[in-house]
Formats: sequence, C-alpha cells, structure tokens
Amino acid sequence: MIGVLGSNTVMGVYNAGQFGRFAWRSMAASARSIGMRETYPLIWTQMWIIGVRSVPVMLITGAFVGMTLAYGSYDQLAGMGLEEHLGVLINVSVVKELGPVLAAVMLAGRVGGALTAELGTMKVTEQIDAIESMGTDPVRYIVAPRLLACLLLTPALIVYADLLGIWGGWYMSVVELEINAGAYWSFSAFGIEMWDVVCGLIKGLFFAGAIAVISCYKGFHCREGAHGVGQACTEAFVASFISILMIDFALVVIFKAIYSTFWPVQSLLG
Amino acid sequence: MAERDEGKVADGVGKNEEPESRPERGAGVGGNNGLIVLKDVTKRFAEQVVLDGLSLAIEKGKTTVVIGPSGCGKTVLLKHMILLHRPNGGEIYFKGQRIDDVDDEALNKVRAHFGYLFQEGALFDSLSVAENVMFPVRQHCRITKWSEVEELVKQKLTMVGLNGFQDFYPANLSGGQRKRVALARAIAMGPEVILYDEPTTGLDPIRADIINELILKLEGELGVTSVAVTHDMKSAYKIADRIVMLHHGKIIADGDAEHIRNHPNTIVQQFIKGEVSKKDLEQLRSASAGNSVHHSSEG
Repeated sequence: MIGVLGSNTVMGVYNAGQFGRFAWRSMAASARSIGMRETYPLIWTQMWIIGVRSVPVMLITGAFVGMTLAYGSYDQLAGMGLEEHLGVLINVSVVKELGPVLAAVMLAGRVGGALTAELGTMKVTEQIDAIESMGTDPVRYIVAPRLLACLLLTPALIVYADLLGIWGGWYMSVVELEINAGAYWSFSAFGIEMWDVVCGLIKGLFFAGAIAVISCYKGFHCREGAHGVGQACTEAFVASFISILMIDFALVVIFKAIYSTFWPVQSLLG
Repeated sequence: MAERDEGKVADGVGKNEEPESRPERGAGVGGNNGLIVLKDVTKRFAEQVVLDGLSLAIEKGKTTVVIGPSGCGKTVLLKHMILLHRPNGGEIYFKGQRIDDVDDEALNKVRAHFGYLFQEGALFDSLSVAENVMFPVRQHCRITKWSEVEELVKQKLTMVGLNGFQDFYPANLSGGQRKRVALARAIAMGPEVILYDEPTTGLDPIRADIINELILKLEGELGVTSVAVTHDMKSAYKIADRIVMLHHGKIIADGDAEHIRNHPNTIVQQFIKGEVSKKDLEQLRSASAGNSVHHSSEG
C-alpha cells in the first residue's frame, strides 16, 4: 500500500517535471521562432488549420450561448420587472466568462484533439524521431508553430464568439421577447467596461497556451498503437478542460484583485 | 552480387584465433578506436534491461550489420548511436568526441553527419516525395536557388530509382517505394554514416534485394559507413563487412560472415539457420496437445 502510494507519487512528480520541461522548451522555441522568417509558412499553415477553420464552430457556440442566456434568464428578471437589464446580464456573462471559456472548450475539442491525434500518429510512425535524426528540434518544428498559431488566433476567435453571443442575446431579447431595444443597449453599455473585454481576451491567451502545450505534450508522449493515440486524445481533452476551468478561476481572482486595487485610483483620476 | 564476407576480420581483438576460443570483437572495445564507439552502454525501460553494458566500435567505411531476435534491443542500439535514446549508463563517442553528454544544439550538429532509414520509412504524410527529400536541406542550408534544390532532389531520387515521383505523396507509394524515398531523404545531406533499421523487413524478396543493392551502391558511390539492424540473414550476408549478434542486451557474436556461420554458440546457430530449439519445440507441442485435449473434452 505504502509502496504503491510512494511509486505513484514519484511517477506523478516525474510526469509533472517532464511536462514542465516540455512547456518551457515549447515557449522558448516559440519565442525564438518569432524571429525566424523560415518558420512563418509553418505558422501560416497552422493559423489556417487552427484559426480559420474554427470560425464556424466559434460562431455557432457564441450565438447559442447568447440566445440560451437570454431565454433562460428572462422569466426571473421579468418577475422582478427588470427585463430591460437583460442586456447587462447577457453581455457581461458572454464577454467575461462564457464566451472565452466555452470557446476554449470548443477549441480543446476541435483543435486540441486534432493536434494530439496528429502528433501521436507522428510519434507512433517515428516521424518525430525522423525529424530529430535529421538534426532538427521537433519542438521547434512541430510545437512552436502550433503554439504560436493558437496564441495569436484564440483571442480573435473569442472576439467572434463574443460578437455572436451578443447578437444571439439581442435577437432573443429584442426580436423574440420584445424588450425595448434602446433600454437593452443603454443598460448593456452602462454595465460593460473595456476592462471586461480585455479580461476575456487575456483569458483566451492563457487558455490557448494551455490547450496547445497539453495537446502537443500528450501527442509527443503517447503510447504505441491506435489505442495509445485514442487514449492520448482523451487525456489531452480532459486535461485541457480541467486546466481551462482552473486557469479561469485563478484569473478571475487575479483580475478582481487588480480591478479592486486600481478602481479607487481610476475614480480619483476621473 | 557476391556476398561481402571477404575472409576473417583483420583488425584488433580476436584475429588469428580459433573460432571456439577467440573473444568477440566488440567485447574488447576499450579506447575510442572507431567512427562510432559505445562503451559499457546500459539502457533500461522501467525494470527491463535492453542494453546490458554493451561495448561496440563501428569502423569507418565498413558496413556493420547487427542481428538478433525480435525485441533483443537492435533498434534501441541503433537509436543510441544518434542519441534518439539516451543511455542510462556508459559513454558514446563519434569521431572521438563524446556525444551522450552534449546539449541539444551540439547534438543536432553531430546528427547532421548521419542519415537514418527508419523501419517503416517515417516519411512525412503531409509532404510530397520531393518535399520529404529536401526536408533536411531546407532545415540546414540557406537556400538561394530553388533550382539547385530541385536538382539535388532529382539526383537523390535517381540514385534510388524513383525520379519522376517528386509530386507523389507517401500514401500513394508501395512499401518498397516508401523505403527508397526514405533512403533518398537519408542521403540528401551527404552523410558520413547511414543507419538502417530493418531495411528489408516487410518487403518481398525482389524488393528486399533492390534495397540491398542500393545499400551496396551507396557504400560504393558515397563511401559511407553503414550500420544496419536486421533479422534477414540473406540481407546480412549480402551487405555486411562485419556481423554483430545481440542477445539479451549483450553481444554474443562478432565477426565477418564466415565467423558467424561457423560460430560455436547454439543460440547463434539457431538464429542464423532459423531453427527453433528442441526445448521450445517440445513446449510448443505439449501446449498444442493440451489445447486439443481441452477442446475435445469440451466438444
């Protein structure tokens, strides 16, 4: 019993160390790649695969989040006579929380799964070894373009999800539930600050980094065979999903602390 | 083509001794004599010891073939030569310079001297044949004229008899063609050493012979040092200047083809003749008999 606990602890620490080292190597390789023009075509290719082809999924996700929030919240607010405040509720939720988080979850499923499967197959068929055997760092060649593409385009995808979320909320509230459009937008404008939008976008950067590094790590370290690749994809999605929730919570606490610290200063300046 | 066994090995340890008494050549590696030298290399995967204090020196300009049963550590040994696996113990040298303790950047420079033919080719699925062959060139050279790169690709594909396949993708090639493209990629940078991992496995006898001829042709034309791992004895006899047999992570036989053919070790003889031992055969038959009794009683 103690032996099993001990070996599991050692294995857990070893895996954490290995992941930390991989994450560090990935970030260092990505930073170096920014200055290397020959890697730009690889980054463009990944931006197309990761970013452009994810746009429809992001739009659909955003639109349904907005519409669902509007429809689900209407009765409670209408019961208190506050239905014109529906815009604040929807838009703050979409821009600060649900837009970034649900967009990241969709990316973890669509992009993360594909990254792990692709890299896992490359690992199993010795393509990663082949890159290394030719004197090329596989982290620089494979991981860095994918990580950079995720970092550059996830905030943009979140903007798309936010916009469609806002549209979905407006459509359901104003067109279907017949809330006064002027009141809807004026309360929304009153309730949302640029800070909220920036927080959502910064979250997107962290989510993107986590999804890319976790997915690539699982692909690089997947076991042999079809079962190994499948298992790596599942583990990558679960780990990415949990990371998104944990990072989200940590960033909410940090952003709140920053906002509370600087809000009085802002009031004095204003 | 004639086999490469041109008499007894003429260097170092073990020469002019009776086959029964002479020590194996690799066992005596003490200094850094050889292009690639492995000294007391040990490799473990979890509790399993794959290489057990193995020492081996690869001679420049010669073709060394490593034979042994499946799972004996042949591929692991080959991957140690280019540090795709790091040893748990021991030292590895290339041209007298220790390479198992250098950083990744220095190691990548060392790897540029090597070409590696992987068992299944390991071609990049998303790249065409031409892009696969030019991959190492694009990674290591500053390209000013693409026409020169295209000419290089054409030259390498001509060497392996696949000129005209530049725009094909790996999925459209047969197993033998994939291996030949992989070979063209392995020689694209003009390596000093080519490492072959099971070059003929999975190919029909004629295509296997084409690969053997290519290996000999490359050695003749480019003067490279070759190390091949295989359990195809026909291929081993044909291409080898020296044959090394691995068993349980240790070298149990080392010499030219004639030495291996006349080796007194029973395990070596069983392997090269492809014969199962009497003990294993009896176990197999008794297991089969047990199964048939079990099935008949069920029926």
